[in-house]
Amino acid sequence: MDPAPGQARSVLVSMLKIESLTANYGSTTVLHNISFEVSPGEILALIGPNGAGKTTLIRAISGVIEIASGRICLGEQDLAGLSTSERAKILAVVPQARQLGGAFSVEQAVMLGRTPYLNWLGREGESDRAAVRLALHQADLESFAHRRLAYLSGGEQQRVLLARALAQTTPVLLLDEPTNHLDLQHQTNFLSLLKKLTNEKQLTVIMAMHDLNLVSFIADKVALLVDGLLTSIGTPKEVIRAEHISAAYQTPVEIVAHPGTGAPIIFPLGILDQTK
Amino acid sequence: MLRQRPYLLNVTLVLIAFVFSIALGAVLIPPGTIFRILGSQIAGLNIIPDWPNSFSTIILAVRLPHTILVALTGAALATSGAAYQGLFRNPLSDPYLIGVASGAGLGAVLSMSLNWPTNLLGFYLIPIGSFAGAIITIVIVYNLARVEGMVPLTTLILAGVAVGAFASALTSFLMLRSDLQLFRAISFLLGGSPMIGWDPVLASLPYMLVGMGLLSVSGHMLNVLQFGEEEAKQMGLAVDRAKIYIIIVASLTTAVAVAFSGVIGFIGLIVPHTIRMIWGPDYRLLIPLSLLGGASALLMADMLARILLAPSSLPVGILTAIAGAPFFLWILRRAKREVFW
Repeated sequence: MDPAPGQARSVLVSMLKIESLTANYGSTTVLHNISFEVSPGEILALIGPNGAGKTTLIRAISGVIEIASGRICLGEQDLAGLSTSERAKILAVVPQARQLGGAFSVEQAVMLGRTPYLNWLGREGESDRAAVRLALHQADLESFAHRRLAYLSGGEQQRVLLARALAQTTPVLLLDEPTNHLDLQHQTNFLSLLKKLTNEKQLTVIMAMHDLNLVSFIADKVALLVDGLLTSIGTPKEVIRAEHISAAYQTPVEIVAHPGTGAPIIFPLGILDQTK
Repeated sequence: MLRQRPYLLNVTLVLIAFVFSIALGAVLIPPGTIFRILGSQIAGLNIIPDWPNSFSTIILAVRLPHTILVALTGAALATSGAAYQGLFRNPLSDPYLIGVASGAGLGAVLSMSLNWPTNLLGFYLIPIGSFAGAIITIVIVYNLARVEGMVPLTTLILAGVAVGAFASALTSFLMLRSDLQLFRAISFLLGGSPMIGWDPVLASLPYMLVGMGLLSVSGHMLNVLQFGEEEAKQMGLAVDRAKIYIIIVASLTTAVAVAFSGVIGFIGLIVPHTIRMIWGPDYRLLIPLSLLGGASALLMADMLARILLAPSSLPVGILTAIAGAPFFLWILRRAKREVFW
């Protein structure tokens, strides 16, 4: 089904473009000349070994670390000139759940996502309350609204952080390894929720992830980072191939297609070698 | 229930403590007489004096300014304590523990030794010296305590105690080298006794109103900062500006309190934590309630300090430490069972 001409144009207008992004920590270059694009409704998964620069790239795009050169654009708009609060109306971040703000209730924490829209007194209005109600509903947290964060499980806390980002009502969502500390059921729930919301709200999503099997099921695009370089980008089938993954992670793997969906599934052969 | 009406409860407590503070002393003056004496000062109200002349002198020249200064001091220490706790994301931050109060004390003493206040203008200058001392201290402590962008509890307290001790030592040195007037002023400061008369009240009022007013609207910034500076920035808070704002305003508020009342510990710790336990962590509520709670708490401590050893009185700073330390331990025990931080 072809999109109507107007739709195609709006996709182009709001495409997130990372152009030749380079970032440094002190005198070390940690991201080299990275370029890619993500369209609304698409999930791009950032993969790569530990220390490859996935989290750094998320932080660079979100604006918490300065980029040395390159551009981050939403459509035609360069994000570089925006104030912190203007930028937070375009990009929302779902960090890894940490033990912070434990005394706040779920509702209070999600309301903080409205920060870029509040006045100098920090008073919320009806539109803010409506956005929070919607975000709580979307993240299936309504029954937890008055629970304190400290009393939630890891999976619930991660959903709170997602709801807070949703309440920020941004076109772009950045997630940093959101399923790391979740069990299989919660990983599945979280990712299917994210997939559903990405479709419904036509969000542009960039997500750093470790679990390559989950990546191949959820991602529309995969970007492989090695030592701060983007070595491969494309669909999961194009990127998650034995030669790419073995080279990037420096460990032999075998990849087979899932019999139902054709999604690539990874077997780390290194474990077998060790036990032989 | 009263818990649902936090402002009503806290305003009532302040008013009750205020009246009792004026009533109590070597001479007990009944509240009815207090109101009539205060009313007689208002032009247009025709109240015929039926009280001894000494009563109106005691109230208008001594107890009323004392009570106002104590209330302002308590409010200032509690609001700035709450703000420091939020800013450093550290439940032990208190103007006293992190050294700011000692730095402010040194600044106040320096400015008094350079220019002893002989008129009201001289009094207005003391908080400026005190403020400079507080800011210099906080910048040093913050940079000493900072580890990889975080300010951990251990380094914050260590740096605060060290810098605070250094400032106190300098203050003691100045005290030894000073003349009698300054010597007495410094001993008042170190013990934590509010100064006497209207001059300190009038001199601190403008600074206090600005400081506490600006702190009262910083609640949302502090809420966002509880999730870490990086997340706060991603949520759209201009973090560096917010931090500087809170540091300057909280230090100003502390500095004024210290300049005229000396070092009074624990109020900045006990009051915000009590409010937090009852009404939760939202700084938009926590800061203004700490303001009210700080006023009533220090008024009550001050009344005890005046009554316990009557006719002589104890420096209120000693009393808050005596009452505060066990209370603080109780909070620590309770914190193990229930999350309120």
